[in-house]
Amino acid sequence: MSPADPLSDPRSPETSAIPQTRKAVAPPEAAAEPFVAKVTVRNLDFFYGKARALKDISLEIPQNRVTAFIGPSGCGKSTLLRTFNRMFELYPDQRAEGQVILDGENILQSKRSIAEIRARIGMVFQKPTPFPMSIYDNIAFGIRLYEKLSRAEMDARVEGCLRQAALWDEVKDKLGQLGTSLSGGQQQRLCIARTIAVKPEVLLLDEPCSALDPISTAKIEEMIYQLKSDYTVVIVTHNMQQAARASDYTAFMYMGEVVEFGMTRKIFTAPRESRTEDYITGRFG
Amino acid sequence: MESSEAAVGQKLTPAAEEPGTAGRGRPLSADSLFHGVCVSMAGLVGVALVAIVIAIAVDSLPAIRTFGVLGFLKSSEWDPVSEHFGAFPFIVGTLVSSAIAMVLAVPVSFGVAVFISELAPAWMRQPVSAAIEMLAAVPSIVYGLWGLLVFAPAFANLEPWINDHLGALPLVGALFQGPPMGIGMLTAGIVLAIMILPYITAIMRDVFVATPTRLKESAYAMGATTWEVARQILLPYTRTAVTGGIFLGLGRALGETMAVTFVIGNSNNLSASLLMPGASIPSVIANEFTEATSKLYVSSLIYLGLVLIAITLIVQVLAVLLLGSVRRGAVSSR
Amino acid sequence: MISLAAKRRAVNAVASALMFAATCVGLFFLAWILWTTLRFGIAAMHWDLFLKDTPAPGDGGYGLRNAFVGSVILMCIALLIGVPVGLMAGTWLAEYGGRSRRARLVRFVNDIMLSAPSIEIGLFTYAVMVDPLGHFSAFSGGVALAILMVPIIVRTTDEMLRLVGAEMREAAIALGAPMWKVVTNITWKAARAGILTGILISLARISGETAPLLFTALNNQYYSTSLARPIANLPVVIFQFAMSPYDNWQQMAWAGAFIAITFILLLSVTSRLILQKSVKRP
Repeated sequence: MSPADPLSDPRSPETSAIPQTRKAVAPPEAAAEPFVAKVTVRNLDFFYGKARALKDISLEIPQNRVTAFIGPSGCGKSTLLRTFNRMFELYPDQRAEGQVILDGENILQSKRSIAEIRARIGMVFQKPTPFPMSIYDNIAFGIRLYEKLSRAEMDARVEGCLRQAALWDEVKDKLGQLGTSLSGGQQQRLCIARTIAVKPEVLLLDEPCSALDPISTAKIEEMIYQLKSDYTVVIVTHNMQQAARASDYTAFMYMGEVVEFGMTRKIFTAPRESRTEDYITGRFG
Repeated sequence: MESSEAAVGQKLTPAAEEPGTAGRGRPLSADSLFHGVCVSMAGLVGVALVAIVIAIAVDSLPAIRTFGVLGFLKSSEWDPVSEHFGAFPFIVGTLVSSAIAMVLAVPVSFGVAVFISELAPAWMRQPVSAAIEMLAAVPSIVYGLWGLLVFAPAFANLEPWINDHLGALPLVGALFQGPPMGIGMLTAGIVLAIMILPYITAIMRDVFVATPTRLKESAYAMGATTWEVARQILLPYTRTAVTGGIFLGLGRALGETMAVTFVIGNSNNLSASLLMPGASIPSVIANEFTEATSKLYVSSLIYLGLVLIAITLIVQVLAVLLLGSVRRGAVSSR
Repeated sequence: MISLAAKRRAVNAVASALMFAATCVGLFFLAWILWTTLRFGIAAMHWDLFLKDTPAPGDGGYGLRNAFVGSVILMCIALLIGVPVGLMAGTWLAEYGGRSRRARLVRFVNDIMLSAPSIEIGLFTYAVMVDPLGHFSAFSGGVALAILMVPIIVRTTDEMLRLVGAEMREAAIALGAPMWKVVTNITWKAARAGILTGILISLARISGETAPLLFTALNNQYYSTSLARPIANLPVVIFQFAMSPYDNWQQMAWAGAFIAITFILLLSVTSRLILQKSVKRP
C-alpha cells in the first residue's frame, strides 16, 4: 500500500492539526517572503481507473498570490487542479488518495457538503462555458444558490462582479442578451465574473486563455493581477510566457510529479532542476 | 458595488442550509428527490416491456387454458358462435402480408437510399430525403383510407392482367389467381411496403452517408462505377446496420394494424391465392374486439396479441441489436 | 463480343436507372396519397364539421366536433402523462445513468418500445385499465397514447442532453450548484430545442394513432368530455366512417384525414424549424 494512503496511516486525521508524514515541498524563498499556505497538498495520488496520473504530490499554495502550474501535456497539471474542488468525483473511475488541505481541513474527506467546498473554491474552465441564459442570469445563477438578495442588491452584485472582470462597460447595455452572444474573450470574462460572484476564496483557472486571442488574453492576465488581492489564484497554463507574466509562484510538473516549485522569477531565471531548465528553454515539451 | 464589497470576506454557506447543519441541508434532499423521480421514471421505462408481456399473458389465460399453446397455433377454426378459436390463418396472414411487403420494399428502399447518397445531384438530396420521410409521417389510418377507397379500386383494374400473366406461370401461378376485388393479401402487402419504405430507406441512407469518404473515394479512384461502389463497398461495409434496418421495417409491417385492416379483406379462411381476402393478427383483433362479447372470445383475441408480441419481439430485438449504435431516434433520422 | 468496360458501363446505366425509378416510385405514392387526401378532404370541407357532432347512421349532414374535441382531450392527457415521464427518464439516462449497465438496459428496452406495434400498447392498456375497471374510458385512451409517446421523448431527451458539453455541466457544478439545479437550469435549457422537437414529434406520432384507441377510448357518437366514459376521437371516427356504406360518412372520413395530415405536417415542419434555428444560433 502506498505510504500516502490515509487508511494505512494511523495518524491521518480528517481535520486540522495534521502531522506531516513527509515534509511538504515549500518554496525555499518562503523565508524571504512571508506567506500563508491557503491550500496544502500532501502525498496526493490520483488514478484514472488503474492508471496513476499523480504521484505523491506535496506542495503549498500561498494565499493571495498567483500560483501557476506549468508542464508538458499530460503531466497532470489539470488533474491536480481538479482535485482541489473534487471535480473528478463526477466520473466514477477517477479517484484521489492523500490530502488536499484548505485552511486546515482535508477537503477530500470533509464532512461538509461538496457544494460548500465548491463555493469556496471557484473554477474557470479552458473553454468559455456561458450558461444558456442571459448575461445577467449567468452571474445571478451562482449567487442565488447561496444568498437571497433583493432585486437592487442583486443588480449591484452583478454590476460589481462584471466590473471586477472588466466586462461591465462592454455589456452594461445588453445584460438581457444571451451569454452565448458575446465574443470568446468576453465569454471567458463572463465566466470569471460568474465564478467570483459566489465569493470564493480560491480561484482555479484551467488554461483560461488557451481558446482566446492575444488581446483578450492580455485583458484576462491584467484581471488576474487585480484579483489576487482578494483571492488565492491557481492557474494552469501551457503558455510559459503567461506563467512568467502573471504568476508569483510556479510549479513545474512532469509525468505526474512536481519537479520544481518556487518563486516564478527564480524558476524562470535560475531553475535548480535540469528538467525544468530543459522545459522552459524549449528543449522538450 | 458597495454592498458587494461589504460582503466580501464573509463566509459563505449555502443559503438554504440551516446554520450548523452543514452538509445535510435542504439542497441535498431536493437533489435526492429529483434523482429519485428520475430513477423511478427510468425504472418505469425499464420494466415496461416485461409489464406488457405479463399483463397480456394474464388476460390470455382463459384462452390458453382452453386451447393450449400448440392447439391454438395450429387450429384453423375461428368460430365465435361455438367458441372455437385458432390462430393459424392469422399467423399465416401476418407473415405472408409482411413477406410481400419486404420483397417489395427492401429493393426499392435500397435504390432510393443509393440514389440519395450517391447518385442524386447535391441540390436534390435534401428535398428527396424529406419527401420520402414524409411518407413516415402519414398516419396509418390515412394509408388505410387511401388503400381502401383509392388504391384498391385502381388495383382491381390491374388484377385481370395479373391473372392472365402471373397466374399462368408454373408453380407460383396459383398465388395469382382470383376474382379482381382489389382488396386482399397482395394489396395489404403493397400498402405495407409503401408504409415501411421510409423507415428502411432512412437507415440505409444514414449508414451510406456515414460510410467513410476515403473508402468510397478510393473505389471511385480505381474507376469503379456508382453501382459497383454501392454493391461492393457500401453494402458490405454497412451490412449489419442495413440488416437491422430491414428487421426494423419487418417489425413495423408485422404489427401494423389500421392500414392492413382496411385492405386485407378480413376473411378468416385461408386461401392459396394472394388476390383473395385474408386476415392478419392485428386486423382480426381490431375488427372483432368491440364485437367480442364472451370472456373467452376477448381472451382469445388477447391471446392472438400475445402471439403477435412473441413474433414481433424477436424481430425487434434483432433489429435493435443489429443497429447497435446507429442513431435512429425520431430526431436524428431527420 | 462486348468489351468488359462497355459491359460495366451498361450494368451501371441500368442499375442507375432502376435506382432512379425506385425513387420515383416512392415519390409517386407520396404524391398520390397526399393528392387524394387533399382533393377529397377539401371537397368535403364544411363549417358544420367543426360545429356539429357526428350524425347518426343514415342521417345526412356533416359534423366532427365531438371527434376533434375528443382528440384534443386525449392528446392533452397523453402530454400531461407522457412528457414528465419521458423527460425525467431521459434525464436519468443522460445525467445519472451514463453508460452504466442499468442505463444500457433501460435504453435497450426503450428502443424496443420505440418500435413496438401500437396495437400491443392498446391491448396492454386494456388489460391493466379497461378490464379491471370494467369500462372503456377517455382516460385509458390518453394513457395508451402516453405510453406511445414516452419512448420517443426518452430517446430525444437522452440524446439531446448528452450533446450538451461536459464543460457546461462542470462549470455549474464548480459553482457548487446541486445536481437538480444544474439539470433544470443549465442542461435542460441548453437542450430545450431538441427536447421540444422530440415532444412535438411524439405528438405527431400519436395524433394519427388509431389501433390503441379501439381498446381504450373506443368511440362516442355524442359530445362528451368525461374522462371516465368512452370519447369520440378523430382516428377511430375515420376508421368507422371509411368502412361505412354512407357517402356523407366517407366524405367526412376524408375531411378528417386531411385535417389530421395537415396537423401532423405542421408539427413536423415546426419541429424542424425549431431545431434548425437552435443549430444556427451562435
